Amino acid sequence: MRSQIYEWDGSRNTAIGAAQAGTRVSVFIGGYGNNITKPAETTATQFVVIEDVAVTPSAFVSGLDTADYRGLTVSNGVAGPRAYVQVRINTTDYFLDPDNVGNDGIPGTASPYPRSLNFQPSFSLYPDVYVLPGQVFDVLVSFYNSAEFATLQCFVKYTLYDGPDALIANKLLEMGISINPGNVDWYKRTLIQSQSAMA
Amino acid sequence: MSMRSQVYEWANLAPASSVSTLRRGTDNQPKYVAASTEYDVFIGGLGNNITKPAETTATQFIVIEDIACTPHLGGAVQVRINTTDYFQNPDVTDQVGVPGLASPYPRGAASTSGGSDNLLKSFDLYPDVYVLPGQVFQILYSQRTATSTTDTEVVAAFVKYTLYDGPDALIANKLLELGVTINPNNVDWYKRTLIEQQQRTAVAAAAGGQA
Repeated sequence: MRSQIYEWDGSRNTAIGAAQAGTRVSVFIGGYGNNITKPAETTATQFVVIEDVAVTPSAFVSGLDTADYRGLTVSNGVAGPRAYVQVRINTTDYFLDPDNVGNDGIPGTASPYPRSLNFQPSFSLYPDVYVLPGQVFDVLVSFYNSAEFATLQCFVKYTLYDGPDALIANKLLEMGISINPGNVDWYKRTLIQSQSAMA
Repeated sequence: MSMRSQVYEWANLAPASSVSTLRRGTDNQPKYVAASTEYDVFIGGLGNNITKPAETTATQFIVIEDIACTPHLGGAVQVRINTTDYFQNPDVTDQVGVPGLASPYPRGAASTSGGSDNLLKSFDLYPDVYVLPGQVFQILYSQRTATSTTDTEVVAAFVKYTLYDGPDALIANKLLELGVTINPNNVDWYKRTLIEQQQRTAVAAAAGGQA
């Protein structure tokens, strides 16, 4: 079981620009900012649990304000990129509106990265998001303020279960129990206790 | 994915040509918000909306865990289940709900538009609000002062909820009957209890068979 993180910075390498406003960009292989060499996926002996996603926050001000607010460029009453982050497993979006239509995802205003006194989280990703063995996953960032994109950053925190722990994670999933290090340990203890009882 | 954390963010932003939109766009502008008027953030016809009223099916259970709104202009949010408002005055009369000053969005927002202070939350939605299978729910945003007609402020509301679907919705109903708080931890606890009961029964049966 290993705790892992991925940070995406839209200003690195091929920097993201105003032309990408209103579109979704993969933080792994989207072609903007820092990327990795291939799509994020799990092997047959891996299980990934995504525990946190966050993106650059925005603040709400007046429509005619033009001066920077809290270090963020203002446009149409929004200071910051008005950014959202969505998790996609294979081809399915995780975050939906109440009418079951996929939405833009978690607002950076609710799950800010980085966290600061000005921007604190209103959201925690619980229950977590599971990426089963053999699945492809993606984290997609979208932003709507074409005047503010230079600061765009995204953060993903996940736990990678490999080998026997991935098997236990699958077993917990079959049983309908949340997969976290505590429950994996509980399952191991239960196995040991039932073996002891049988002996 | 039978328990899923979900959020909904509403703002009075829409394209220049209309007052509401189903999809956010790069051309969105702030729209006028009247004083002392309740706007349904889902289908209220202002800002970003969805296609139909928010409701649970027979196999869904929703637990609303947090509501918040921008604190300026006297913003407040109310939860309505079917036709009943959740937050009431002590004399059981209507009220506007949780003020943005008590549950600010974003956390750390200023108390006035463009201000420099940082508000922290004074309110925690606990116990949570349950939306039972087949119920309709609304999140209503209102503000004491209207937005300026010449320099329209952007206001927003935020809802965080957990959607329980399928077997987990059945367990949520069972927990409700038992009077136990519905949250992912307790749903897991109920499942573990069932499994441990089954294991004890299996061990007892095996021991009985050997004797």
